[in-house]
Amino acid sequence: MFRNNYDNDSVTYSPTGRLFQVEYALEAIKQGSAAVGLVSKSHVVLAALKRNAEELGSYQKKIIKIDDHMGIALAGLAPDARVLSNFLRKQAMSSKMIFNRPLSTSKAVLSIADKAQENTQSYGSRPYGVGLLIAGYDETGAHLYEFQPSGSVLEYYGAAIGARSQAARTYLERNLDTILETDSVEDLIVHGLNALRDTLSQDVELTFKNTSVSVVGKESGFTIYDDEEVQQWLDKLDSVSNARNRDDDDNDNNEDSNTNTNEETTTTTTTNTNDNENPASEETTTATETAPEDDTNTTTDPSGDRMETDD
Amino acid sequence: MTSIGTGYDLSNSVFSPDGRNFQVEYAMKAVENGGTSIGIKCKDGVVLAVEKIINSKLLVPGKNKRIQTIDKHIGVVYSGLLPDGRHFVSRGRDEAQTFKSFYKTPISVPHLMDRLGIYVQNYTCYNSVRPFGVVSIVGGIDSNGPHLYMIEPSGTSWGYSGAATGKGRQTAKSELEKLDYETLTVREAVKVAAKIIHQAHEDNKDKDYELEISWISLEETKGLHQFIPDDLLAEAIKYAKEDEDDDEEDEEMES
Amino acid sequence: MNHDPFHWGRPNQETYGTYNYNIAQASNQQHESQLDDFPKMHTQQPIITGTSVVSLKFKDGIIIAADNLGSYGSLLRFNNLERLIKVGDETVVGISGDISDLQQLERILAQLEIEEEIYDSDGGHKLRAPHVHEYLSKILYNRRSKMDPLWNAVIVGGFNEDGTPFLKYVDLLGVTYGSSTLATGFGSHLAVPLLRQLIPNDIDYTKVEEEDARKVLENCMRVLFYRDARAADKYSLVTIKSQTSESGSKQITFNHEKELKVENQSWKFAKDISGYGSKQL
Repeated sequence: MFRNNYDNDSVTYSPTGRLFQVEYALEAIKQGSAAVGLVSKSHVVLAALKRNAEELGSYQKKIIKIDDHMGIALAGLAPDARVLSNFLRKQAMSSKMIFNRPLSTSKAVLSIADKAQENTQSYGSRPYGVGLLIAGYDETGAHLYEFQPSGSVLEYYGAAIGARSQAARTYLERNLDTILETDSVEDLIVHGLNALRDTLSQDVELTFKNTSVSVVGKESGFTIYDDEEVQQWLDKLDSVSNARNRDDDDNDNNEDSNTNTNEETTTTTTTNTNDNENPASEETTTATETAPEDDTNTTTDPSGDRMETDD
Repeated sequence: MTSIGTGYDLSNSVFSPDGRNFQVEYAMKAVENGGTSIGIKCKDGVVLAVEKIINSKLLVPGKNKRIQTIDKHIGVVYSGLLPDGRHFVSRGRDEAQTFKSFYKTPISVPHLMDRLGIYVQNYTCYNSVRPFGVVSIVGGIDSNGPHLYMIEPSGTSWGYSGAATGKGRQTAKSELEKLDYETLTVREAVKVAAKIIHQAHEDNKDKDYELEISWISLEETKGLHQFIPDDLLAEAIKYAKEDEDDDEEDEEMES
Repeated sequence: MNHDPFHWGRPNQETYGTYNYNIAQASNQQHESQLDDFPKMHTQQPIITGTSVVSLKFKDGIIIAADNLGSYGSLLRFNNLERLIKVGDETVVGISGDISDLQQLERILAQLEIEEEIYDSDGGHKLRAPHVHEYLSKILYNRRSKMDPLWNAVIVGGFNEDGTPFLKYVDLLGVTYGSSTLATGFGSHLAVPLLRQLIPNDIDYTKVEEEDARKVLENCMRVLFYRDARAADKYSLVTIKSQTSESGSKQITFNHEKELKVENQSWKFAKDISGYGSKQL
């Protein structure tokens, strides 16, 4: 079998100019459960699906507050997200300390972008294995950015990362006009949850245990709704399960193949009943592989999902 | 690329038997698919422009700027791995500031290019790093007038009158060759730049793009590197598309 | 030759008594017997100095003035210094005290402006006077805490985010305070009372017209020239004001006037002054 020699580290280009290690880091995001973000003129909403390792285990936190006006949602390696969020918190505190003003959202995201880039150009470190959605409200209004381990950050009206996130993006694109025009925070949250719902697999539905929602905007600091507090928003949905059939998987999901990374919740081979309240069941029943992605998978990677962000 | 698989292309800083450094050549490949960037040096200043490919309609229009400023009087645009470009710019800013704190005078463009050339070249010398995946076009005005340079992953930097890189560089170059750099002013060059980017985009028509243009001129911007005003940009875009109507009416009919 | 003026000697002690080093913090140069008692201090006194900065708010903005003199002790060493520095689009920093430290602050502020207003600026996130003031206060307090102060008193003028005028002081100790009438150095004794005749309470600036503010400020510069031996009659003046245009949008204008003269001088009062120099009562 042909072996791909160009994917061992992030300091080797392939003959076509690709950086496989960086592209694999982007794949790590897709192993995590989905997170969705969207903006109106005055607010930013983040919504995320939490996972637990086993039925009796707690759920991995998906939304982290940075400052009163800023927060992030993550998909991928949660420990990496903690490193980045701690860095962001430090930046936010410095801005308050030195200038007595809140850190601007664009400055914040660019600071972690540059930090992430360093890890893609030198031997001995790996790229971050986490994608982030950064929500902030500042002097120039409401902003949503997507951060990638490649060191790319882009500002979006709506974005989704993680497993089956394409479905959420499709929802956001279809409803973009209404989302941008809405004055109601409630509508914005419902749109966010609808998008998140589209990422669900067949045997999972949104519950107050597995759903996180956050809002930040004009006259409201960054607020996270978890557990019982999120129920009020779920009550506003027409349904808490994915309306679509499971067979219309989008191309970016390979969540059924394996999840062996030490991401948000380490998947185990615990047997699970297909309990609706357990969103991790779809992985756990199939997560038997422990080897990293095999060679065929990497060399024939068909996805055009390059590190490059401008084509 | 006949030498692929011989093992000499697996590590940076290694020569092949025929004297090539493959990793640097591969870095160039990363550039060749990026959005087209161009620079035009006029008699009174410099214009930079870039074709920003829009990959999603969820992206916020007009944001996610691609042209950056190294110092008040120097601008950059690049094609390739964009995060590498930010790294390059960040180094350029450090060099410019260090120079200024030493000599209390803004760095000249040729000297900045010398320093950045050394920095970029260093990334071809060690197997613990990889070369920059960008070609950068740097333009600025100093006491000797306008300057335009293009710097490659190898660290080579040449001065240009008209420079182009990225996917549409061939088309752009052949258009740039037609210009008269002795008489061209920045105000005219803004329109020309818009048109060239538009033509270079022809090969990549399935994707939408956004145009970003900046300029530096003593008369127009008091020697500062700035984005062109919105009305001028709108005018330039109109000009770029108008011309196309005359040339290839049929094609325009479809869209 | 030793260029330190404090080594040039002074009239002998039998005639004039021992020199009181506490006067105006003239020097920390100590008696030879004490030299071993304290670590050597290189940057603990100013060398070339600029005197007062005077400023006040008026209803549409702020106005600030400082003369162009750099004194070397009692020698009027330089007469072309600019001590009002523009930062960003709508902020002015007026600096008194040591001139080399002023130049250092000037470089720090230029760096700040580049980082905050030029790099990756998408517009919108303006660098405003409160930010500049906070930043300077951190720098000055930091240096003082290292026992190596920047020997200045600084006034920052401009606008708050809500568009109201901003005027605040910070000095070499890191002390900060804000007021509608502010002055540094001698001006805090001689000019502030005059300014307060126009603006008795802090909020009263809202009733003050630009012309009146300017008139009082010109008078302050005149009084300072009369009474402050380290003041000059050539000065610079900055007016920053926010005006609402017909379209309803706010327009900020920054006007920097240079080489102004103290006008209408009258030295009639001088003949009545006694108690100084050779003239005995």
